Parts: sequence; C-alpha cells; structure tokens
Amino acid sequence: MNLVWIVLGAALAVAVPALATAWAQSRIGAAIAASMAEKPELSTTAVLMIAIPETMVILGFVVALVILLRAGAAG
Amino acid sequence: MIIAMAKVRVMGPRDQLARTLSAIQDLGVLHLAPPPVGGAVTPPTRVPRDEREPRQIRRILDDVEWDLAHLGPAPAARAPAGGPACVAWARSARRVRRGLERIRERETALEEERALILKYRQFFDAFRSLLEAERRWPRTTAYHVLLRPGDDDALPRLRQALTTVLAGAFELYDRRLGSGETAVLVVVPTDAATNLERLFEEARVEEIPVPAAYGGGSLAQAIPQMIARLGDIPEELAALSRERETVARSARAELERARAYLNDRLAQIDALNRSGVTAHAFVVEGWLPAADVPDFSRRLRSACGEDVLVSEEGREEWASAEAPVVLSNPRLFRPFEVVLRLMPLPVYGSLDPTPFVAAFFPAFFGLMVGDIGYGLVLAALALLVHWRSRPGTLWRSVSEIAGAGALFSIVAGVLFGELFGDLGTRWLGLRPILFRREDAILPFLTLAISLGAVHVLLGLILGAVSSRHHPRQALGRGLSAAMLAGVIVALLAVMEVLPRGLLTPTVIGLLVAFPVLIFAEGVTAPIELLSALGNILSYARIMALGVASVMLAVVANQMVGAMGSVAVGVTFALLFHLVNFAIALFSPTIHALRLHYVEFFGKFYSAGGVRYAPFGRWTHGAGRRAS
Repeated sequence: MNLVWIVLGAALAVAVPALATAWAQSRIGAAIAASMAEKPELSTTAVLMIAIPETMVILGFVVALVILLRAGAAG
Repeated sequence: MIIAMAKVRVMGPRDQLARTLSAIQDLGVLHLAPPPVGGAVTPPTRVPRDEREPRQIRRILDDVEWDLAHLGPAPAARAPAGGPACVAWARSARRVRRGLERIRERETALEEERALILKYRQFFDAFRSLLEAERRWPRTTAYHVLLRPGDDDALPRLRQALTTVLAGAFELYDRRLGSGETAVLVVVPTDAATNLERLFEEARVEEIPVPAAYGGGSLAQAIPQMIARLGDIPEELAALSRERETVARSARAELERARAYLNDRLAQIDALNRSGVTAHAFVVEGWLPAADVPDFSRRLRSACGEDVLVSEEGREEWASAEAPVVLSNPRLFRPFEVVLRLMPLPVYGSLDPTPFVAAFFPAFFGLMVGDIGYGLVLAALALLVHWRSRPGTLWRSVSEIAGAGALFSIVAGVLFGELFGDLGTRWLGLRPILFRREDAILPFLTLAISLGAVHVLLGLILGAVSSRHHPRQALGRGLSAAMLAGVIVALLAVMEVLPRGLLTPTVIGLLVAFPVLIFAEGVTAPIELLSALGNILSYARIMALGVASVMLAVVANQMVGAMGSVAVGVTFALLFHLVNFAIALFSPTIHALRLHYVEFFGKFYSAGGVRYAPFGRWTHGAGRRAS
C-alpha cells in the first residue's frame, strides 16, 4: 500500500506542474500570437517566452525522481 | 569584448559644414551624437524647404522601395552615370508602381478565374454527356446546383421537395465531386420552371451562376468556353511575367541608384540636424572606435583642408550610457554574439558576456544531449549548413554554434557511455567513464547543481568586477558571492561531504557578513541571496532533460524487439530516435539559453546599450546597419 502512495505522490509531482505549465503556456502563447501579428520580429523572443514556464514541470520531474529514488522504487 | 570608443568633436568654418558632413559620410565611421547646442552654439537655421524636403524624399522612397520589392529577381542593367534627378525619379517610380500594380491585379484576376473554372470543370466532367445533350431536350430547363459537403440528408430532402411541388415531372442527376460537394442537375419542363425557382428561393438553394464574363445563356453553353479559356490563362500569366521582367531590366538600375541617393540624402539631413553652428563656425560631435581616431582625423583633414579640426573629448566629459556599443571577439567566440542579439546590448563600459556564453552554452547543451550518435548527426547537419551558408550570415553563426554543441554532445556521450541510448553498450560494449545517466540520477543531479553553483557564482563575481567603479555596489556583489559560497560550504559540511569542522567558522563568517551585506545592498539583499540559491536549483533541468533524453532513446531501442516483426520494430525505433533527436535539438537549446538569460545574466548584465550606427553611405550598408 505504501508503494501505491509513493508512486501516486511521484505522479502528482509531475502531473500538477504539467497542468500548470500547460495553462501558463496557453496564456503566453495567445498573447505572443497577438503580439507577433503586429511585430513579426518578436518570433525568437516568443519561443523563449513560451519555454520559460517549463521550469515548473522540469522541477516537478526532478522531485518525482527524488521521491522514487528515496523510496527505492526506481530502477 | 566591448571596443573602446572615443568621443570626438569636429569643428570648422561654418560655410564648410555641408562639405565636411559629406566627407564624414564617405568615411562612414562616426556615430553622430545629439546636437551640441548650448551657449553660442545653436542648431543650423532651417528654412521651409528643410521641412518639406524630408517629407518629399520619404514619399519618393516609399514608391521606390515598393517597386524594388515587387520587381522580382530579374538582373539589373548597369547603373547609368549622372547626378541626382529627384523629379524624374519621383515620376518614374510612380509610373513603375502603377504598372506593377496593374500587372499584379491582372495576375490575381487570372488566378481567380482559373480557380473558378477548375471548380466548374469538376461539375462539367461529372455531367458531360447530359450537359451536351441538354441542348437537344425540347421545352425543358436545366438547373445546376452544388450541395455542401457533410449534409447527407440534403439530396433526399431535395428529391422529396421536388416530388411534392412538381408531382414527379422532373429528372434529377447527382454526382459526388472530389471536393466532397455534390453536383446536382435538375431538368424540368419549361412551364414548371417558375415553381422550381420559387422552391429554390424558399429553401435558399443557389444555382451555380454562369460567370458574367461568359455572357448570358446556360451553363452548358458557357462551360466549353471556360474549358478553352483554361488553355489561354497560362499564356497570359507568362506574358505578364515577361512584362514584369522587361520593366525590371529597364527600371531596376535607376531605382536602386535612386534608393541609394535618397537614403544618403535623408541621412545627411539628419546629420545636419545633429550639428551646431555659431556665427562663423560649425560643431559636430560623435563616437568612433578609439583606435580609429588618428586615421579619421588625418583622412578628414585631407578631404576638407586644414581648417577643419578633430579633437578628442576627455573620458570624464561623457557618460557610459551615451556611447554606442560595438562587440569584438576572437574568431572562436564571435558566432556566439548571435545569442546576445535576443537581449538588449550591454551598456558601454560593462562586461561583454560572449566569451562566457561560448564556454558554458555548448557545455550545458552537451550535458543535456549527452549522446555520441546524436552528436555525430548534429555535427553532420552543422557541416551541411556551414557549407550552404555564406560567411558573416546568421546561418553561418548558427552552424558554428551547432558544431560546438555537437562536439560537447560527443564528449558527454563518451563520458556517459551512450551511443543512440544503450545501443553502444549492447553492440559495442561501450562503458561510461563517469556514470550511466539512466541509473545514476542523483550523481547526475549533483553534477548539474554543482555546475549551476559555479555558473551563478561566476555571475556574481562578474557583477562585482563590472561595478568596480561603484565601490558600495561592488562590495555588495562580492559579498553576495562570498556568502553564497559560504552557504554551499556549510551545506556540504552538514552533509559531511566536506569536513564537519568547517561548519562553525562558515556560519560565523555568514553571520558577520550579513549586516555588511544589508549595509552595501539594502534590506532586499537577503531576498536576492535566497533567489540566487533558487537560481542554482534551476540548473537541475540539465539533469531532467538529460535523463528524459536517454530514457526516450532506451525506449526507442526496446521497440525493435517489442513489435514482433524486426522490420516494423526497426522502423518504429528509427521514428522514435528521430523524434528524440528533434526534441534534443530544441529543448536543450531553449533551456541552455534560458539559464544564461535569467540565472546568469541576471547577476551582472547591464542592458541598455546603444547600437553603433555610423553615419555613412547606403551602398556601404550604413542604413541597413542602423536598422
């Protein structure tokens, strides 16, 4: 049963930040699309702006790995 | 490295101002400063012509630029010699523009006509035999309708309605077209035509109209003419293209000469507005690379005579924020200046981070990709782009950055023992020198965080160095770096990675430094110190992306045996590797850039530099350099 909670915790550690990242990127993407309609030269900056929220899901992934490793459930 | 700039003042007799400005424009090295007005120095007197001329030039330039953009790639004849001819250029540019607009409109109309005819041809092909026989049906009228795709009930409903209204006195033929629409041909006795038209009107069904260009009459009469027209349209389009080429051959050279002259003239007018005059003299100020001052002075006096003087202003007379910025780096680092183009230029006198980007960006990229196979493929792509691109272009720089990234990816691949995931281990017995990424997650995380600590500490040290002229700020940044190092040492001592005896003196040092830090940087300094710790943790993404990459590669290799058929398995494996490679190009680039822009540059980068845009001739790229 403990293993179930551990794996569930690891899954939530990735899933919740992933949802947050998706929501943030959807808002940023819409704003960037509107800006680029007027200023196409913003395209490179736009790619970077959209990538910034990925920090959340990457750190969530790290936390999930640490949870699994600590519990000895990985590998 | 930011090139050292010097501010110079050019002075001479007032009546030599125009000639001197022309000579300065020919030399093309002086970035003009705002007008040096004050005291006896005033802006040059402006007459109404000085207000009108820039507007007129911009109007002519608008037509010239439009013409050149729409003339196409036809080669130009040799440019005729001669002086400026603004009136003739204005007329010629307007005439060429009208001609090109007429050609474009005609081309658009022909393309639209062709699209319409192709649509009708589908209908005609579906009902060819019936339409040809239509003329022989006595006392009947034919109606041609297109039903929209997706409405499968429309045809039965139409048939039902016709049966109700016309009591079966009709013939209905339908064909599904390639576009998904349904072509319907309804033939009714002529005396029932009115009832049918009323039914179509009530149901809002529209008959396919005969295009106006083909006159009245039925579709059956118009369609053969339209099919014949399909053969004429390409010839007409070719004729219009030849007409455009003829215009380009005759007009391009003069238009390019006009563009160059008009842009130069606008730059001269702007330069005049940036000069100052007294009763008998003029003054022009600007910046140029300090090493070019003696040569500039010699050549200007050679062109304008000994009455024109060039003097260099002392460094204390101007502020760093005013000076334009030119980056100059060794050949090895120069491609990485492209990375800085996404940021505002650094302020003059601050640090150019290009060498540090050249060192760390490929390293971060390589650690995240970390595969010999992917590195070799990337190297091949980089070579291809390098071969196809011209020196000095963006693509050439991208290819060189990609080459550096490929090299570090191969080195990291050797350290981790990865060749297309675990294929190197399974086929060639490849062994890691450091550790295997998919197994040693915590060591990899430690490596990533350690790299982050070094990078952030370096940023803080660079921040201290760049603010050396402001002692309090330099003290604050240096102390932040020292305290961050102290926190790291204390944590390592607690974890017994370092001797535990280091803990007490480190903590004492931090407590002593804390109030000094607040004195130097203000009450927000502790918060910034904590955010620096958070910045270090952000480098964990190197581990996350690296582990994700190797896991995807391992899964791709496992596809070979999992599909039952070797051919299918190999195909899936190749597709997976392709997707992983595409992700490996995109994600590590974005995140390595982000680590530099946010975590690294945030510690020392002073944005807000002015781009070096020397006053020069359009043909020498002056106007385009400024844009």
